[in-house]
Amino acid sequence: MKIEVRMLSARVHRTPLLKDISACVESGEFFGLIGPNGSGKSTLMRCLAGLQRPVSGRILADGADLSTMPARSRARRIAFVEQQADTTDRLSVRDAVALGRTPYLSPLRGWGADDDAAVTGALRAVEMTAFADRLWHTLSGGERQRVHIARALAQDPDLLLLDEPTNHLDIRHQLSLLALVRALPITRVVALHDLNQAAACDRIGVVLGGRLVATGCPHEVLTETLLADVFGVAALRHPAPDGSPQLHFSHAL
Amino acid sequence: MTVALASGRVAVGRGLWLAPLLLGATILAGTAIGETRLPFTVVLRTLANHLWGAGYPVDGIEAGIIWSYRLPRAIVAACCGAGLALTGVVLQALLRNPLADPYLMGLSAGASTGAVLVAVAGIGGGVVSMSLGALCGALLAFGCVVLLAHAVSGGTGGGRATQAAAAIILAGIAGSQMFNALTAFTIARSANAEQARGIMFWLMGNLSGIRWEDVGACLLVSLAGIALCLWHRRGLDAFTFGADGAAALGINVPALRGSLITATAIMVGVLVSKVGAIGFVGLVVPHAMRFLVGTRHDRLVPASALAGAVFLVAADVISRILVPGQVLPIGVVTALVGAPAFALILIRGARR
Repeated sequence: MKIEVRMLSARVHRTPLLKDISACVESGEFFGLIGPNGSGKSTLMRCLAGLQRPVSGRILADGADLSTMPARSRARRIAFVEQQADTTDRLSVRDAVALGRTPYLSPLRGWGADDDAAVTGALRAVEMTAFADRLWHTLSGGERQRVHIARALAQDPDLLLLDEPTNHLDIRHQLSLLALVRALPITRVVALHDLNQAAACDRIGVVLGGRLVATGCPHEVLTETLLADVFGVAALRHPAPDGSPQLHFSHAL
Repeated sequence: MTVALASGRVAVGRGLWLAPLLLGATILAGTAIGETRLPFTVVLRTLANHLWGAGYPVDGIEAGIIWSYRLPRAIVAACCGAGLALTGVVLQALLRNPLADPYLMGLSAGASTGAVLVAVAGIGGGVVSMSLGALCGALLAFGCVVLLAHAVSGGTGGGRATQAAAAIILAGIAGSQMFNALTAFTIARSANAEQARGIMFWLMGNLSGIRWEDVGACLLVSLAGIALCLWHRRGLDAFTFGADGAAALGINVPALRGSLITATAIMVGVLVSKVGAIGFVGLVVPHAMRFLVGTRHDRLVPASALAGAVFLVAADVISRILVPGQVLPIGVVTALVGAPAFALILIRGARR
């Protein structure tokens, strides 16, 4: 799915958090969103997911305006994995993933074989098939994040939005989760904190103070000057063996 | 019931068709057991006489007790149990708060105030019924609680869902206290000693005054409540990971919350006006049923309605026979039975 953001502004509790954002994510692209804490990444993700109504500007999903799209049709095309989504309910992994079929079900249309197939496929895609009958509260952080992604995949979306999916995960789970997301064939927009992880995206956008200050390929965007200006850190850049930029941070400026 | 309890989720899931049978048996038991225990045969014959004019010879007094007094009482108890359990299911799901129930939200307190204002202070000049007063009280209380919660959490948008859930419970406590104080004030101002005793008894939950004319409204709201919850079962499921999670799954969150919480207020208003404020059912029954049938609402809603109905009919029977020659307020029994049961469930759940 191609996503176009045109002059988007948003407020939360009368505080303007996004100002005149314009960007375009091509179909099938792996787009990273970076920026310091409080820069507006999460708000932008919520706008893209349709959870937050912009004050002005438009978001076009394959040319269709997101604000006029019914919630159910939107949920069939766009899936969102929040930063912190937990539950105290004692539900099984399979039931948690089955929630992703909600936009396809109605009070009168019951659960069907294609829903089962979607759930099984989503569990397989995140390599959690063996965990299907485990209870949610027995899972580790990394496993939970995988189940969240499986739930999103069960929505059979064209666009997957992930808000800092590697937060609170150990390094092995971070890398395996990112490898999983990178291999998905759909459009992905991922807010990330780790700039070296962001370097593996197709393109990245940098958010600062509610504005999109830079977009482009990682090696164009992640310059030592930008890192100093936006993140306030002194960094050295080396080329990794695969040619992508690798960052080494020395101190805060 | 013990078999179902022991074998857990599967048994209850498969046994849902047993629900009408179990409910019927409970209501029959509620009709037979009381201060004077009447044989089941007399109960069944009386029912047959009234339902299809079977013409069995039965004692007139016994038939009167069964048909005019105990049967409507048992049916209303079942309706209240089902309705209150459902309000707990709905509030706990929508507010993502395991402590949410009509009590904590101030709904019952508001309904009590409304009913007492009509019954004791004579507001509405005899035109307004106690049900309507209770309904207005419940809605007003809920409105106050929501406004207060909104002011405390500074709106419900953003990533503040958790904060908002905590705020609404705190606001509910404040609301309950205020409306309980208003009720006490009204009673102290306007009621004479005898009225005051009657009202205090009613406030703890009392089914003594139930007759056939009360059955219709209770049956209507509880059946409509079950139907509405089943219709929105997937919407309720979608709240598992919070309101934002539900919205991301294509649920119209404000519309669903608005309609289900209004329905809850109506249920509480009608039921409280008939039987008073019965505590504990809305809090305990949904939790107990989650342990037995899981968290999915296609099972949880019917299971909670059934368990609530059975629980309240049983509690009513106990309230009539526990102390010979005296009827206890049913709220006392639900709390005495429910609190230890709840503790047991929590402990067992933690060990699993």
